[in-house]
Amino acid sequence: MIAFTDIVGMDLAKQALMLLAVDSELGGVVIPSAVGSGKSTLARAFADILPPGTPFVELPLNVTEDRLIGGVDLEATLATGVRVVQHGVLSKAHGGVLYVDSISLLDSSAVSHIMDAISRGEVLVEREGLSEVHPAKFMLVGTYDPTDGEVRMGLLDRIGIIVPFTAQNDYRARKKIVNIVLGTRDEEDTRDELNMLAGFIKAAREQLPHVSITDEQIRALIQTAISLGVEGNRVDIFTVRAAIASAALAQRSDVEEEDMKQAIKLVLIPRATRMPEREAESNEAPPQEEPPQQDEPESEDEEAPSDTPDAEAEEEQKETPDMIEELMMDAITMELPDNILNISLASKKKTTTGSRGEALNFKRGRFVRAQPGDMRSGKVALIPTLISAAPWQETRRRDSKMAGRPKTALLITKDDVKIKRFRDKSGTLFIFMVDASGSMALNRMRQAKGAVASLLQNAYVHRDQVALISFRGKQAQVLLPPSQSVDRAKRELDVLPTGGGTPLASALYLGWETAKQARTKGITQVMFVLITDGRGNIGLQATFDPTAEKASKEDLEKEVEALSLSIQADGVAAIVIDTQMNYLSRGEAPKLAQKLGGRYFYLPNAKAEQIVEAAMSF
Amino acid sequence: MTQTETAAKKTAPRKTVVAKAKAGSDVTTTSEPIKAVKPAAKKKSGQAFPFTAIVGQEEMKLSLILNIIDPRIGGVLVMGHRGTGKSTTVRALAEVLPFIERVEGDTYNRTIDQYIEGEEAKKGRKAIDPASLKTEKIPVPVVDLPLGATEDRVCGTIDIEQALTSGVKAFEPGLLAQANRGFLYIDEVNLLDDHLVDVLLDVAASGLNVVEREGISIRHPARFVLVGSGNPEEGELRPQLLDRFGLHARIITILDVAKRVDIVKRRREYDEDPDAFMKKYNREQQKLQKKIQTAKDLLPAVSMDDSVLTDIAKLCMNLGIDGHRGELTIARTAFAHAAFLGETVVTMKHVKEIASLCLRHRLRKDPLETLDAGEKIDRELAKLLGEAEAV
Repeated sequence: MIAFTDIVGMDLAKQALMLLAVDSELGGVVIPSAVGSGKSTLARAFADILPPGTPFVELPLNVTEDRLIGGVDLEATLATGVRVVQHGVLSKAHGGVLYVDSISLLDSSAVSHIMDAISRGEVLVEREGLSEVHPAKFMLVGTYDPTDGEVRMGLLDRIGIIVPFTAQNDYRARKKIVNIVLGTRDEEDTRDELNMLAGFIKAAREQLPHVSITDEQIRALIQTAISLGVEGNRVDIFTVRAAIASAALAQRSDVEEEDMKQAIKLVLIPRATRMPEREAESNEAPPQEEPPQQDEPESEDEEAPSDTPDAEAEEEQKETPDMIEELMMDAITMELPDNILNISLASKKKTTTGSRGEALNFKRGRFVRAQPGDMRSGKVALIPTLISAAPWQETRRRDSKMAGRPKTALLITKDDVKIKRFRDKSGTLFIFMVDASGSMALNRMRQAKGAVASLLQNAYVHRDQVALISFRGKQAQVLLPPSQSVDRAKRELDVLPTGGGTPLASALYLGWETAKQARTKGITQVMFVLITDGRGNIGLQATFDPTAEKASKEDLEKEVEALSLSIQADGVAAIVIDTQMNYLSRGEAPKLAQKLGGRYFYLPNAKAEQIVEAAMSF
Repeated sequence: MTQTETAAKKTAPRKTVVAKAKAGSDVTTTSEPIKAVKPAAKKKSGQAFPFTAIVGQEEMKLSLILNIIDPRIGGVLVMGHRGTGKSTTVRALAEVLPFIERVEGDTYNRTIDQYIEGEEAKKGRKAIDPASLKTEKIPVPVVDLPLGATEDRVCGTIDIEQALTSGVKAFEPGLLAQANRGFLYIDEVNLLDDHLVDVLLDVAASGLNVVEREGISIRHPARFVLVGSGNPEEGELRPQLLDRFGLHARIITILDVAKRVDIVKRRREYDEDPDAFMKKYNREQQKLQKKIQTAKDLLPAVSMDDSVLTDIAKLCMNLGIDGHRGELTIARTAFAHAAFLGETVVTMKHVKEIASLCLRHRLRKDPLETLDAGEKIDRELAKLLGEAEAV
């Protein structure tokens, strides 16, 4: 067993866990880290620095709802004639730690239950005739490898600390790790170190209620949250708590600047949706890093007048005292890689249903639960059916209707029948929209086809569906309706003719229609992959009515913008792959990506793998 | 009387059954044996943050209050950013609710009339003398429907314990029964499993819960105010369910620094000493509770001019809203709003304040529309009012 103090590197993660050990109200720590960096070892070693006897429960990824929430313990119930409750994993973690390895792979219903438990501090069990409340106040520690996908934002929102993505350890650290793993370290040293650390934490816990924070400091932290574009107000409470815990760890009774920096680093920055001006210039900030407020540009107006925020926020931003700005910049640059924007969790495309494309069904996938249903509509869950029939045997025998049955037979009625409910990746529909206009021919059709081909390959592996829309001349055209046949898509793409105008709006409209239709067929997630230079020059009007006058440039832009915003609002994800030559570009494609709330790639720079990764990680 | 006490009283008969069963068995298990009944346990969980201490989010608070004043408004859907106090606010509601009268110990929270009607409808029951029934006052129930609930617990099912111990088939009411004449709250309503949504739609439409199982056939009233909350980014709401909600409140992150400082400070104060905090807001809580009760009493006396009704109808027509639920909801909500303000005549001023709450989710979706629903409604309203003034 490797102790907490033995773990080398991952300093931020360690600091985060120590803060959590000091103040469990921080809710939890999420540690994204590459494979083999020791994140799960660290998380498991977290128990070392908690008071002895603190529960530490590990949640298996394939947990069923019953095990998670709790339910009837049938064996005991039948034996005693009294309903006996079996507590679920969530309530077993009460007062301690719930640890989830690969938390990004947890299925979305489990995530919802965990979210619910965190927000209540208890589990409501309303199942199988049971109605109970079990206390479930726990610290959630989650680790995951970001290449497996992201954790659902709703869950992250309820967890105080998100450790910024940890880079690989350097060679000295690696050497030390090897030594520890090989057992060349003195065990006594380890024990001493551990005892010392545990002592620190204990002292800090005692110090915690005596730490005070000034209103100015609270204000500075909130100001930082606002200028980083962090969504929600709950985060303020976490930030303040983290700063206080940090001061307690240092045995101080006042929050100081370094505590605030620590809080900003561990709570706010990983949730940033934009970076303050100075930073944003440095690397070509992808356009999706817009503050979330802009998703609903008009919504502010319904608020009470005192709330009319954007203008006000802007103003306040300008008023931001230098102190805060310095603080923020320090926190950002300290120990964090330069490309923080790229690893900021919140800047990743938000998903509509958490883990990608999962849906409950009665046919295939992972068995989640048994539920009452018609025998013909699914697979019968035999054991749950027998279990639900068992208690009634006595009663039914006495029942006149069933009197004629042989004594030995099990009396099962249709009410007992439970059918299996599965959770399955229902797949994502990728709608490729390829600009085949004249301007594209000049550009890089061949390259674009290459990028699409590798995406298609990946889609095939994931059993996703693909559709292909090309647009040229007067209007867009569905070359391939949603299908799993990647080969057909490839073939269509190979023979794609080019030339003519660019009916961009028509393509978006058609894509959206296709997406809507797919939704009615059980597809939960749709992603547009637009390969274009973004220069639409044929309006929707022209598509339907060839005699219509040529729309003005402004009208065309407006049309595309309106469509893009609605498509984004409808939860369709998007990637825009810009094919325009550098020297010709007037930034149409990045603008399109921004309006769609999608990611933007400049084709000549983008590697095929990057695009694939972006498409797969949404 | 607190809700806990009432709940305990209500469930008293069952407790004895359990006790008997326990006495009869000497098997020990590691799991805790089940406690008698539900809502009693539910209220046990820590005090809710006081409603009156919640900063901002007026739209949501107003929607909830109007629904208390007139439950026929049809509930509230609260959608918005994460971490903006949606569920905190709904859970805080319980403390400012007025009282209702029900037949003593009735699990379905029925009034005397409803009770008699329901019981006499059962086979072989004789007429019940109303004078023989006692009533009690309980706070309007707030029932929490968790995402992981199973259908049998929602609708009610056969009491498995009684079946096991005494071979008797008895119906054990579910959450829908508890929520009768009260509030049913679903957090993350957009993530609710489809089969539960179906159940809710059924019951919400008819106001009746029908259970047929094991030869038992039960119908009981289940009229409740449906309150749902969620984050639109996490998933879509089924259109049929969306349509069921009378009001749709939208909530966004507060960007006012002073308000946010206030939120943090209040929260810290509450966490440090919940009891002292509750005490501090006690008076305001009671004041609000009283104000709501007064408004409820005033409601029947509130009247509306036909011209206002005409304007409401025009508004819905101009906005192209299908069906008549839009007009109805606006009218009811405007009545409640007037009552809440202590006024007895509904004017367009009241309508103006609640129109977007009532209509936001009823507008037809137009792919090329860039205007936010709320703004569109306001614009139509302004047009209408301008017109009205000109005449």
